Amino acid sequence: MVIFLQHKNNKRTIRHLLHKMALLSIRNLHASIGEREILKGVNLEINVGEVHSIMGPNGNGKSTLAGVIAGNSKYTVTEGEVIYKGKNILDMPVDVRACEGIFLGFQYPVEIPGVSITNFMRTAVNEQRKYRGLDPLSGSEFLKLMEEKKKVVEMTTKLANRSVNEGFSGGEKKKNEIFQMAMLDPTLAILDETDSGLDIDALRIVATGVNKLRRPDNATVVITHYQRLLDYIVPDFVHVLYEGRIVKTGPKELAVELEEKGYEWIKEELESGK
Amino acid sequence: MEKIVKEFRDIHPSMRKNEVWRNVDFAALLTDDLALPQGERQTAEYHCNIPNLDAYRVVVENGFCHEQLRQDQTGVITASLREICGERAEFVRQYFGQCTPVPNPYLQMNNDHYTDGVFIYVPDGVRVERPIQLQSVINAGHGLFLQVRNLVVVGRGSHVTLVHCDDSYDNAPAFANNVTEVHVGDNAYVEYYKMQNLNNQTGLLNHTYAVMGTGASLRSVAVTLNGGHIRNHTEIRMMGEHCDVQAHGLFLNDQEQEVDNYIYVDHAFPNCHSRELFKGILDDSAHGTFNGHVLVRDGAMKTEAYQSNKNILLTDKAVIYSKPFLEIYNDDVKCSHGSTTGQLDEQALFYIRSRGVSERTAQTMLLYAFCDEVLQQIAFEPLRETLVDLVKKRLHGELTLCSECALHCSTPCNGPEANFYIDPSKL
Repeated sequence: MVIFLQHKNNKRTIRHLLHKMALLSIRNLHASIGEREILKGVNLEINVGEVHSIMGPNGNGKSTLAGVIAGNSKYTVTEGEVIYKGKNILDMPVDVRACEGIFLGFQYPVEIPGVSITNFMRTAVNEQRKYRGLDPLSGSEFLKLMEEKKKVVEMTTKLANRSVNEGFSGGEKKKNEIFQMAMLDPTLAILDETDSGLDIDALRIVATGVNKLRRPDNATVVITHYQRLLDYIVPDFVHVLYEGRIVKTGPKELAVELEEKGYEWIKEELESGK
Repeated sequence: MEKIVKEFRDIHPSMRKNEVWRNVDFAALLTDDLALPQGERQTAEYHCNIPNLDAYRVVVENGFCHEQLRQDQTGVITASLREICGERAEFVRQYFGQCTPVPNPYLQMNNDHYTDGVFIYVPDGVRVERPIQLQSVINAGHGLFLQVRNLVVVGRGSHVTLVHCDDSYDNAPAFANNVTEVHVGDNAYVEYYKMQNLNNQTGLLNHTYAVMGTGASLRSVAVTLNGGHIRNHTEIRMMGEHCDVQAHGLFLNDQEQEVDNYIYVDHAFPNCHSRELFKGILDDSAHGTFNGHVLVRDGAMKTEAYQSNKNILLTDKAVIYSKPFLEIYNDDVKCSHGSTTGQLDEQALFYIRSRGVSERTAQTMLLYAFCDEVLQQIAFEPLRETLVDLVKKRLHGELTLCSECALHCSTPCNGPEANFYIDPSKL
């Protein structure tokens, strides 16, 4: 009821709340880098327990969408809203969004020489715990958690002791992203081209890791070019992001169709529709 | 004003026309308050803040070394330079002044007027297990103008670690024109660490001249934590093949401080390697200089020389002058040089924050990570741990308490001298 009152000025929200509260609800989102508009009115609803896949040609806004949800200041939101757990998160600092349970798996994970993965994760886990009013984990508790989560992506101890992503191979970087996801246990994970730069074995490990982390109370968005990843991580919905808008949504079979036919037919469909 | 101080000050205008000394101006620190040392001694024991440091310790207090000559079973000698010059003049004369080039006027001043210093001698073929710590302390309670001379001789095939600390213990102004000569014998291995922690009224012109024999290695790391105006003037000459030089520096300065690293590396023989990495973080109105010169002479084939300077400026008023410079006279070399100056990497900040780490913690993490690359070059573990700790504390702003402060200035805790705080929010 409290939530209801907070949103009494927004008829659409009320209607939506009465129906079913989405975990993430993006409405008419416009975003740009500098003068260039990249997102031109994205609409998307994600509920807990769901896996969504966003596909589409290069340069049409997939990474921008991920960055805007996570809070990268590189992008300016010019219109629209992103409602997560009933709150508009667009004014929320990046780290607060993370503490609220949003996780971005980077397409190009950043190298941070001088900060070990262990130290980095210990700081992150404990800052998130602090945000939730929990005591920090002790050294031994933390190491135990880390041992457990390393198994999710078959990560070696040697790797865990190295500086974050420094000199990592493409596969190691992506494994490290999923390892961090396992450590932080997010409610909404957005994986931006986690399959790029992976060989078949690494792809299987990473995808298996993501599947192990699936639960009825969280959701995953997988941004990808290839249907291959979706053989492992089976989506409930496939969206096509084209020219800054989601132009088509379908079941998992849509990904197979895209793999076979490419994106041309969607462009044609759109043009004939106009 | 003391005659010598005035003479020293009057050298400045002509020197500033020289590229090597272009940004150097100590005039503001050379005041009427500076007196020549008279052998002032305090009753206080100078203990070292480095835990687990088991070292031969030699203290130079206010320009004089009061230590007794010590010679251990292996023949390693530590002594007051003045004393040993009196007793064994012929022995010292073989080495004294042999590392230095045609003296510049500042070096000449030291040659003519040095009061005392430390003499360290390691005979051929000795692996010195305990490091030798050379602690240069300024603590007279009044202004001082010091000229200390140290002479280090490391014999053929010997190994030694030197820890050289420059500390202010009081809050009085001071200026030191100190010279250290290091002879690194054939195939010898020397680790030489410098830690500088002086008060804001103190200037230090710290000359280091090293000459290396065939197959010798020198690893040097200079960490400048505080000081009014510090210039590390280092010249290294490789006088044989297969020498290896690693000379690194880290400086963290704020307020009105000035810090200046000049390093000259002379490759005269084939197959020698040198690597330099100097990093600095400057806050407030601090000014810094990196002036590196690598000379690869004709005939120094197969030389490898790498030079890098990276800086972070935390404010609009902080300034760095960076001049990496390679001068190469043959074409069979691998050399590189580079310099970057900027703020923290936005994408790295975003990456760290996207895991739930607050902006401020993320900034401190990145600043520490920036320093870590230099600190990891310190092979001697107790020292590395202490410096890692000191740098972390400085970046966290935790060194403001007198009890924990690395400066022994005994000024009130809120005094600017004890203020070690680099404020990441200014980024």
